[in-house]
Amino acid sequence: MRHRQMFAPLTAALAAATLVVTACGPGPAEKAQEGGEVRLQMVESLTNPTRTQLLKKLIADFEAKNDGIKVQLISPPTNQADQKIQQMLQSGKGVDVLEVRDTTVGPFSTNKWIYDMAPDLKGWDGLDALTPNALQVTQQGGKSYMVPYGFYGLSLFYRKDLVQQAGFSGPPKSWTEMVEQAKKINDPSKNRYGYSFRGGLGGGGNAIAVISGYVIDDINKDNAFKLTDGKTIFSSPKAVDALNLYVDLFKNASPPSSVSWGYPEMVQGFTSGTTGFLLQDPEVIATVRESKTIKEDQWGTAPLPVGPTGKAAQPLANAGWGVAQGSEQKEAAVKLVKFLTSGDAAMTFSKENSLVPILKSAAEDPFFKDGPWASYVAMNSSPDTYVVVTQPRGVPWSTEWGNKADADVQKLITGKAQPAEILKSWDEYWTKKWAGN
Amino acid sequence: MALTETERPAAGGTPGKGVPRRPVGNRRRFTGRTALVLFLFMLPAIVFVGLFTYYPLLSGIQMAFRNYNLNDLSDTSWVGLDNFRTLVGDEMFRGTVRNSLVWVAGSLIPQFLIGFTMALWLRRRFRFRGAYQALVFFPWAVSGFLIGILFRWMFNGEFGVVNDLLMKTHLIDTPVPWLADAKYAMVAVIVANVWYGVTFFAIMILAALQSVPDELYEASAIDGAGKVRTLFSITIPSIRTTLALTVLLRVIWIFNSPELIFGMTGGGPANETHIVTSYMIQVTQEGDYGRASAMGVMVVFVLLLFAVFYLLAIKPRTPRRKVAR
Repeated sequence: MRHRQMFAPLTAALAAATLVVTACGPGPAEKAQEGGEVRLQMVESLTNPTRTQLLKKLIADFEAKNDGIKVQLISPPTNQADQKIQQMLQSGKGVDVLEVRDTTVGPFSTNKWIYDMAPDLKGWDGLDALTPNALQVTQQGGKSYMVPYGFYGLSLFYRKDLVQQAGFSGPPKSWTEMVEQAKKINDPSKNRYGYSFRGGLGGGGNAIAVISGYVIDDINKDNAFKLTDGKTIFSSPKAVDALNLYVDLFKNASPPSSVSWGYPEMVQGFTSGTTGFLLQDPEVIATVRESKTIKEDQWGTAPLPVGPTGKAAQPLANAGWGVAQGSEQKEAAVKLVKFLTSGDAAMTFSKENSLVPILKSAAEDPFFKDGPWASYVAMNSSPDTYVVVTQPRGVPWSTEWGNKADADVQKLITGKAQPAEILKSWDEYWTKKWAGN
Repeated sequence: MALTETERPAAGGTPGKGVPRRPVGNRRRFTGRTALVLFLFMLPAIVFVGLFTYYPLLSGIQMAFRNYNLNDLSDTSWVGLDNFRTLVGDEMFRGTVRNSLVWVAGSLIPQFLIGFTMALWLRRRFRFRGAYQALVFFPWAVSGFLIGILFRWMFNGEFGVVNDLLMKTHLIDTPVPWLADAKYAMVAVIVANVWYGVTFFAIMILAALQSVPDELYEASAIDGAGKVRTLFSITIPSIRTTLALTVLLRVIWIFNSPELIFGMTGGGPANETHIVTSYMIQVTQEGDYGRASAMGVMVVFVLLLFAVFYLLAIKPRTPRRKVAR
């Protein structure tokens, strides 16, 4: 009887303990060899439904070609993805292959969370197929924490009809021309504005694109926030001119509410026919094509506007695939990374995801030569005018900087701070950070 | 079998006359084994609560006193009160404290008044009452972040429905840049939060109202009390406890719910709509878990203090009896 009395709670306790233990769940390592097959967990960061389907298709191809390897794709919502990945990496479990971005590679590698694939990539023929830019990213500082799958590069989307109506023969080539044309197009009484200004999330990046174009002759290409004399680009008097022009562009040629415009609003501004110009990545090409308001013959793309000396800095933002340091299936994980960043898989991913491609062979592909893509090709074929620079996006404080820069741009355009003040605080910020404080 | 008067236990629990006492030898004693059995029954709950509530809480508290930055975990040493000192000296943090007060007061008062009105209205019997109730309670089922994104588009200066309606009704001549101007942005997020939170008050107050006996209303009607008198003399006193606790809960929730702000303005323009908890999330995203945890500890401490004082303030006071001299 007593035994029976003890049995119930003991069972309950045992069940609870089992639940707690199993809640922690077996990581990929424990699951890896179930039934003799290798199981990989892969996490993406810049999630969107279309891209997830594409990745699943590519993974299915990989599994078909690599018998005995199964890949489970985890797709957290974009706005929380990097945090989720960070937590997974910190726990050392649950992830083998992950999406690494130029903004996360720094903190991830500093904390030794991601694996240096350099030894595994030695002798891989995929390296020879990469463009110089892609190869540079793959072998940064002699380490290979990621292989990029593509680049995000800015170019100018413009309304051909509005430019023509405003009396101009073609799109603006420089920032000065851009302000001039945008002002002409601007007509608030018709709810029409010149420029899709990015004042909200990511606004700092666009402001820096203008500054970079102004200081391009003195810029350090390997660290595009520095001048060749070692000071920050924000300390240059030319940067003040750049921001003055940028404020002018906002005040006299942009929608007042664009103070809070992030990516979706600025794109919507252009596709709804509200604005005449938009500075954006190639992925927007597909979105603009879907517009019900503007027809294919009403818009086009042009290279990034240049600064006073006729040059522009082309900071190629990038993202790619890497392997977790905690993975116990590194060989299979590297195999998957190689598969995704070479041959048909890499080309398909670039095309369907509207990315500047990583493969040399893309230059011959008609897909990247025609229509809206032509401006990206033009920029890549004029490296003296559109100078490829590397921005310090991988520093551990990149998120903090992004938040600060965005908020400061809002202060600037709402008149709460002057260009010189903002630049002084940016200069101090980076000088301090680089000094290790 | 009903007990007779003599068999009933007397007040105070002592058996009355004629009630047979239970023999002492048969009384179950609280033995060590019984304690163990009880403990084992409670163990699953203890394990779960400990694992999912107290461990993260204690972990968060200790992080507040460490240099815990995810971007560089090479030095996570104890730094004492440094994180708290940094916050006190942070002008932006002080701004978020002010914003939090505006956010809570600005959201709570309209939510309470509109929610109360809705509950009174939904209590009456009318056709399609069920459908109305379902419609009114719908917002509560939607995530705050999603509501934020929805309202972000509604309040968009160029293609938002709010400006469109105001222009068509000639209430404004030119579009208002709702989310681009600091003074309008706070109003916009509060309007969205009022819409979102009214439902909670309506649900809670309606549930409480349904427990008020109809006889009280009948009696007050017979006594000739008007609607206002009935409201203040019958309705409010009858649901006083629910009202008090609902307000307390709502204050805590509003203070702790940055998701709507995050979805709608991201704390902008120029950080003008950041509240303490949305700023805390931003700092967490930046990787500075030490500073974010310090904010968390401060928030918990302030809300605990508020809850204690609030509960003391609304505690019903029993009038002291005058001692006969």
